[in-house]
Parts: sequence; structure tokens; C-alpha cells
Amino acid sequence: MARPHIEPYVELDHPFKKFDLTGFKGSHYKVLSLDNDTGACTLKVRFDGGFRRKPGLSYSDAEIFVLNGQIKVGKQVWTEGHYAFIPAGMAVGAIEVPQGAEVLLMFNDSEPSFVESDQHHRLALTDAFSSVNSYEDRPWGPGNLVSPSVASGCMIKVLHYDVITEALSFLYCMTPQFAQDNISYHDSAEESYHIWGTSWMMQFGELPTGGYFWRPPYINHGSFRCKYGTIAFGRTDSVLFNYFHFNPWTNPDENKLRAAANLYRKRPMLYNWVNSDGHNHPHGPPDFENPDYHNDTQVRLLHDRPVGGHVGKKRRK
Amino acid sequence: MAKRVQDTKPARKKEALQWIKENIAEQKKRYAAIVKEQDELAPQREKWVQEFLQIIQTRGFNVSGDMKRIIKPSEIAKKPKGKHQVVF
Repeated sequence: MARPHIEPYVELDHPFKKFDLTGFKGSHYKVLSLDNDTGACTLKVRFDGGFRRKPGLSYSDAEIFVLNGQIKVGKQVWTEGHYAFIPAGMAVGAIEVPQGAEVLLMFNDSEPSFVESDQHHRLALTDAFSSVNSYEDRPWGPGNLVSPSVASGCMIKVLHYDVITEALSFLYCMTPQFAQDNISYHDSAEESYHIWGTSWMMQFGELPTGGYFWRPPYINHGSFRCKYGTIAFGRTDSVLFNYFHFNPWTNPDENKLRAAANLYRKRPMLYNWVNSDGHNHPHGPPDFENPDYHNDTQVRLLHDRPVGGHVGKKRRK
Repeated sequence: MAKRVQDTKPARKKEALQWIKENIAEQKKRYAAIVKEQDELAPQREKWVQEFLQIIQTRGFNVSGDMKRIIKPSEIAKKPKGKHQVVF
């Protein structure tokens, strides 16, 4: 995804703007990060008391996390901590916000879009819809969901998992006096919003309440500290693998090479096959179980194909 | 290939084009401000790096989870010349 490295950004220091796009009029927003090519974005949105919207759908997968207040969506009432994944084309019920609310709103494929409708789009993958109160309906799990893992004291609640890309949306927390003495990077982009609390990373300093980052792949972050505890919402855009090391000065290209060396050591036959002549398929090798994965947004972006109203162009080097 | 909802999205209207243009411009300014702020943090960061290198040689480096390993002085990388860039 072509979002720049936004880290750290403390949105509380910046004003809301009027949200004048169809379907959002009457609300206010701040851009936390925005994909320059596709318009995909993460926003903080404020719905003032009295906001109403008719049932409708978006042409993008969307995710929402309620930071505070109450939102009536169809017959459901979403309160603080509520998370929903709404697949593109799925019509959601009328929205009413009686007394005001603030949310994180994410459009994964294109800019915010809304079409009034009480019917799903005929191609909508509605089975992917999920809606859960993350504070009340999900248990905290240890951070060793992946290995190598974070130190104990960092816990996670998985809210959404994409079975194809292994992208994750999750709530995480760091206990008071959390410490982890290593430097990390990932193959995936990583995003976080601090709902409450301050944590610290060796590169960027303190990230307080309202602090946000969108970090592209292979960028060093850590070591880590959290003095009084933090709760945050996070996402990755593909599988989360922790590459830990202790060289403070490596750059993303060096980190990428180290990641490739890691792959070579673990899956040498696959690495050799992918790397050899005739097998380096320009749009990714065929997958008999997921024949349509070439259509995924990330794969399309890799190959300069149109995404979300963007006509497709050679990506900047 | 199966067609998806995203493939049926109509062309962007003028209001969406304007929204994207305006917000890309603002994001560029935010990015520049972040880079400046992080550059100004460089002297402090250098101290943090030295503390980190000390900690991993005494209390240890987190290999995975709470498993730690003491790093030998010979394993510490030499600081390269030039700016220590953290925002890319």
C-alpha cells in the first residue's frame, strides 16, 4: 500500500474538519493516513449528536472501531470498544447517533464511498461481516500468537483475521512497566492508534494517548517501554512475523535482505524454485485453493493494476 | 477471475477527487513535520541507542518472548557514518 510512513502522529493536537463527502455530511474527520494511489485511508471521525444516515453500502471493505459514545446501526447499538468489519458492497442499516460518538474508520480499498441502499450489492461477500464488542466479548490472549514473540506483558485480542493474507486487526495492551529489549521489523505494514496510555520506542520516543502510526514494512522499531500501561487498536496488512535483532542502524533494504535470507534458510527449495527462471510468474504463481487471489488489492497494487477508482499506473520507485 | 464489488466501483466524482487531492497535500505537510521533529530528536536518540546497547550486554536481548541472551561486545555493530534515519 502506498501510504507514507506516518510515525509518530498525535492527532489530539489537530482539529477536525467538516466531512463533506456523500454519506458523511454532518460529521467531522481527521486523516490519520491515506494511500496516495487508491484513496484507502484510516480516519478518526466525530459524529455529533443527531447524526443520521440512511441504509447503504461502500465499494470498499471497511472497518470501524468505536472510541466513545453510542451508534445505532440498524437494530444494533455499537458502544465504546465495538469493532466491525464490513465487506465491500454489504448494506448496513440506518445509522443514528443520538448523543455523539468518535470512531476510527478505515477504508481498505479506496476512498470513503457511500451509496444509499437497503440491498447488498450482488457481489458482496457478506459472510465476512463481523461485529463484536472488543472490550466485553473477547478475552485477552498472550502475545505469543506468533513466534518469535513479544515479551510477556503485551497482550492481544484478535478482532479480524484475513485467511488469505493473514492480515490482522486487533486490540493490544501493554502492562505497566512493560519492557522489551530488541529491535523489530515486519514484512507487513503495521498501524496503531493509542486509545489510552503512553509507550516508548527507541527510534521515535513517546507515543501518548491519541498517538498513531502507519509504518510500512521493514522499518526498525524498538526497543520498547511502557511505564503506566497502554491500550491500543492495531492492524497489519499481511502476516505478522517478528524479525528481532539488535543493530540500531540498519535500513529497510538491509532488513529486507535479512528477511529474504531467513526465508532461504527456512524454505530453501521454495526460495530456489521461486527464484529460478520460468517460475517467477509476473502476477504470482497459481494457487489451486485460492484461484482469485490475484484480484486482492495488495496483489493488484504490486502489479500496477487498477484499484478502487484509481486507473493504475507505474508505481513510484 | 471472479469479479468483486471493488471492480464495479464507478469512476470517482469531482467531490472525491477534490477530497483526495486536498488530503494528500495535507499529509505531505504532516510527513514533513514528522521528519523535522524526528531529526530534532537525533541527539536524544543517540543516548537511547547507547543505553540499549548497554542493556543488551548486561541484562540481555529479548530473543523471543522472555528468553534473553547476553550480547558480547564483539557482536555489536559499528555505527555507520551519516544520518541515523528512522522515518522512511
